[in-house]
Amino acid sequence: MFNRRDFLKSSSLVALGSSVPLFLSRTAALAAEAGKPGAKDTILVVVQLTGGNDGLNTVIPFKDPEYAKLRPTLKIPTPQIKKINDDIGLHPSLDGVASLLEDQALCVVQGVGYPNPNQSHFRSMDIWQAASMAEELNEGWIGRALKQVPAAGAFHMAGSNESAPLALTGAPARVPSIASIEDFQLHFAAASGADKKQQRAVIEGAAKSDTSKPGLLDFVQRTASNTYASSQRLQELGKNYQPKSPYPQTPLANRLKLAAQLIDAGLGARIFYVSIDGFDTHANQLSAHANLLSQVSGAMTAFYKDLAARGHKDRILMLTFSEFGRRPYENGSKGTDHGAAAPMLLVGGKVKAGVVGKHPSLTDHQQGNLKFSIDFREVYAAILDGWLGVNSKDVLGAAYKAQPIFKA
Amino acid sequence: MNATIDPRWAWLPYKPSPDAPWDLRKVGHLFRRATFGADYQDLQIALEVGPEKTIDRLLEGDAGGQQKLDAEMKPLADSIARGNNGAQARAWWLYRMLYSPQPLREKLTLFWHNHFATSNAKVNNAGFMLGQYALMRRHALGNFRELLQEMSQDPAMLVWLDTTQSKKGKPNENYARELMELFSLGRDHHYTEKDIREAARAFTGWEIKDGHAFFNAKEHDETDKTVIGKKGNFAGADIVNICLAQKNTPYFIAGKLFRFLISETVSVTPELLEPVAEQFRKDYDFGGLVQTMLRSNLFFSPEAYRTRIKPPVDFALGIVRALEGRIGTIALAQALEDLGQNVFFPPSVKGWDGGQTWLNGQTLLFRQNLALALTSTEDGRFGRRTDPAALVKKYGKTNDGEVVDFFLKLFLQGDVSTDTRSRLVQYMDESRRVSMPVFWAEEDVTNHRTRAVCHLILTLPEFQLD
Repeated sequence: MFNRRDFLKSSSLVALGSSVPLFLSRTAALAAEAGKPGAKDTILVVVQLTGGNDGLNTVIPFKDPEYAKLRPTLKIPTPQIKKINDDIGLHPSLDGVASLLEDQALCVVQGVGYPNPNQSHFRSMDIWQAASMAEELNEGWIGRALKQVPAAGAFHMAGSNESAPLALTGAPARVPSIASIEDFQLHFAAASGADKKQQRAVIEGAAKSDTSKPGLLDFVQRTASNTYASSQRLQELGKNYQPKSPYPQTPLANRLKLAAQLIDAGLGARIFYVSIDGFDTHANQLSAHANLLSQVSGAMTAFYKDLAARGHKDRILMLTFSEFGRRPYENGSKGTDHGAAAPMLLVGGKVKAGVVGKHPSLTDHQQGNLKFSIDFREVYAAILDGWLGVNSKDVLGAAYKAQPIFKA
Repeated sequence: MNATIDPRWAWLPYKPSPDAPWDLRKVGHLFRRATFGADYQDLQIALEVGPEKTIDRLLEGDAGGQQKLDAEMKPLADSIARGNNGAQARAWWLYRMLYSPQPLREKLTLFWHNHFATSNAKVNNAGFMLGQYALMRRHALGNFRELLQEMSQDPAMLVWLDTTQSKKGKPNENYARELMELFSLGRDHHYTEKDIREAARAFTGWEIKDGHAFFNAKEHDETDKTVIGKKGNFAGADIVNICLAQKNTPYFIAGKLFRFLISETVSVTPELLEPVAEQFRKDYDFGGLVQTMLRSNLFFSPEAYRTRIKPPVDFALGIVRALEGRIGTIALAQALEDLGQNVFFPPSVKGWDGGQTWLNGQTLLFRQNLALALTSTEDGRFGRRTDPAALVKKYGKTNDGEVVDFFLKLFLQGDVSTDTRSRLVQYMDESRRVSMPVFWAEEDVTNHRTRAVCHLILTLPEFQLD
C-alpha cells in the first residue's frame, strides 16, 4: 500500500553485501580465467522493450484471416512480412533479425505470458523483472541468479533518464550502471598531479563505509566506493573500440556496442541489460512501432555480427521481452491498448533455430486479450539452468519446466 | 522501524524544546525539503525568527517579487511556446526554481509534475507543457479536487494519454487507467480492468481546438457506464469524482507527499497517515496537508532527518543557491538529464522512481563531475557560474579551518565526522606544499585551494542525503 513497494525495493538496496563487484575487484590475470576453454563463459544480453510491445505485429500470423479483421488500419501487408514458416513471419522492420535465421541463430518463442496478467505497465514490468507475483517485489531474477554466480560480471547499460532495473537488484554487489567509458570517471580541477592525487584520496576516503549500520549513508558510501573502484578498472581499457561489423547510429546500438567492448576487454562480464522505451502505442502505432522494431533489429543484428566475427557467436544469448503485448483488436486511435501474451525473440549461436510454442489463437480471448501458452518463467528456467548454470528453482522459487530454446 | 511513531504525536506542531532545539540542522532540513536550497543568510535569518514564522513565510512567499519575475519571464515563455522549444522550456523552469521568491510553491509544482508525469517527448508542444506547468503551479498549494478535474481537460494531458484520440464506440483506455492507477486510487485499489474500460468511455469526446480543450458531444459515448460500483451516463468529471470518493485516494496522495516532504525510509503505514489523510479527505485541501506536514513533530524528528536521497534538481540547485551563483540554466538542464531528472521529460507516466534509484555508478559520477563544473573555473558551460572563493571572502573567512567550517555549515550544517573534517583541513594544508603553476599569483593559489575544498565537500556521501 502507498509506496510500500518502492520503499521495500529501496531497502533491499540498502542491505548490500560486499561493495565492489567481484569481477571488477579481481586482478586482470584472474579475470582472464573466465575466457579459458572449459570455463563457463556464456553471455546473456537482456533487451527490454518498455511500454508493452505489440506482439501481434511483431510475430504475425499472416495466414489467419482473423488478423486482418482485428487490424483494419494496422495490418502489415503479407508480401512485406519476413516469413519464418508457412504461417507466421516477422514485421518488415525486423529484417536484420529475420536474416539471422539463415545462420540458425534466431528463436521465436510464441505466446509468452503468465496467469492472471496484470495490465498496469509498472506492475507487470515488475512481475517480469522479479519473476514473481508476490505483492512486494524487491529482488530481480538476475540479481538472484548473481547470488549463485557472484563472479559473473554484470552491467546495466544505462540510457539517460533511466534508473537501474529491478531485474538486477538483489545481487551480492550492486550492478553498475554505465553510460559510456569516457563518462565513467571522476574529473578533477587540480593544480598538479600531486594535487589531484590528494583530492582523489579525500573523495575515496570519504566513500569508505566506517559503519556497519545499514542506512542511507552506508548505501551512498557503498555505491560510491563500488563506483570509484569500477571506474579505475574501466579506465584501464582502451577508449577506441573497433567493431568488426558496423552498428547503426542509435542509442540502443551504442549501448550494445559498449557491451561488446566490455566483452572484448575480457573483464569476465557476462550479463548485460539494456532497454528501449516507447512501445506504449495507444495511438498512431504504425510508423512508431516500425521505427522502434527497426532500432531493436539493427542493434541486435549488429551486436550479433560483431561478436560472431570475433568468434563469440556461441557464447552469446540475447533475449527480448516486454511487460505485456497489446490488445488484438485495434482501438479507434490507430493504436492498441494494453494486452497480455506476446512473443520473445532469442538470438545467439546456440538457440534452437525457428519457432517454439504456438501462436495464440486470434479468436479465443481472455478479457479480450491473447492467451499465453508459455509461462515466461519457463523461458527463464531454460536460461538459468542451461545457459548461466544456475539452479533455476532457487531463483524462481519453484521448479518450472525449461522450454526447449537451445539446440539439442 | 516506525512501530515507535505515535500518529497523534507525529502530526502535532513541532515546538522547540531543550531535547529538540531549533538549530542550524533543523533550519537546513526545512529549507532542503521546502525549497531548492538556502544561502548563508537564509539560514541565519530562519535561525533567528524560529520555525513558525519561517514556515509562514515559506507558505506565503513574496507575491510582489513573484509578479515581477513572472512579468520578466513572460516574453520568454511566449517565445518558447511559439517556437515549440522544449529544451528551452526546461531551462525556463529551472530558472524559476532557482530564483522564484515562492520556492515552496515552485517545489510542489515539481511534486505535481512527478505525479502527473507528462513528457514533452510525446506531447511535442512546449506551449502545452508550460500550460500544464501553470495549472499545477496554480493549485500547487490549493485544492486537489480542482487540480485533478482541470488536469483531465489539460491539453498536454489530453495528448499525453491519448484522450484526444478516444472516440465514441472506440474508446482509448490510456487516461482512464492512469487516472485510477497513478493519479488517484493507487494500483489495484478497488478497481478492475472492467472499471477502466467502462471509465474510458466516459472520457470520449475531448478534442483540442485552437490550443484549448474542446468537448465534442458527437464523439462522446452517452450510454450508461458502470464504474467502481456506480452506474450512470457518466462524463469524465463524474469519473474523477468517483475516484475522489474512494477510500484509498487521500491515503495515496498523502503517502506520496509524505515521501516527498518527510522520509523515504520511514514505512508509510495507514495508521500513521490516518489523521492527515482523513482530514485531507474532507475537502482535498492540499495546501492544508502540506502545512500540517511541514509544521509537524515528525517532520522535524530524527526519523525524517536525512532520510531521503537528494533528487538531481535539489542536488544541483542546492549548490548554486548556497553559493549565491547565477548560472546558465540551458546547460544545467542538459546536465540534469545526465543525472536522471530531465524536467518536462519524465521517463514514464509514473514519473521518477526517486529514492535510491537516483544513485547508480554512472549518475553518482555525473553528480560529482557536475559539482566540479559548478565550482571550478575550468568549465565554461555554465557561463558566470558560482565562485566559492569570492563567497568566503564576502563572509570574511580566511584561514583553512574557517573556510572548511564555513562550507561544512553552509552545505551540511556540520553533519560530518571529525575524521572527514580533519581530512579536509589536511587537504588544504597539504595543498600549500604541492607545486602550483608558476604563473599563478598568490591569490590564484588561495582561490584554487578554496574552490577545490568546496568541491571535495560537495562530493561527500553526506551531501547526497536530503
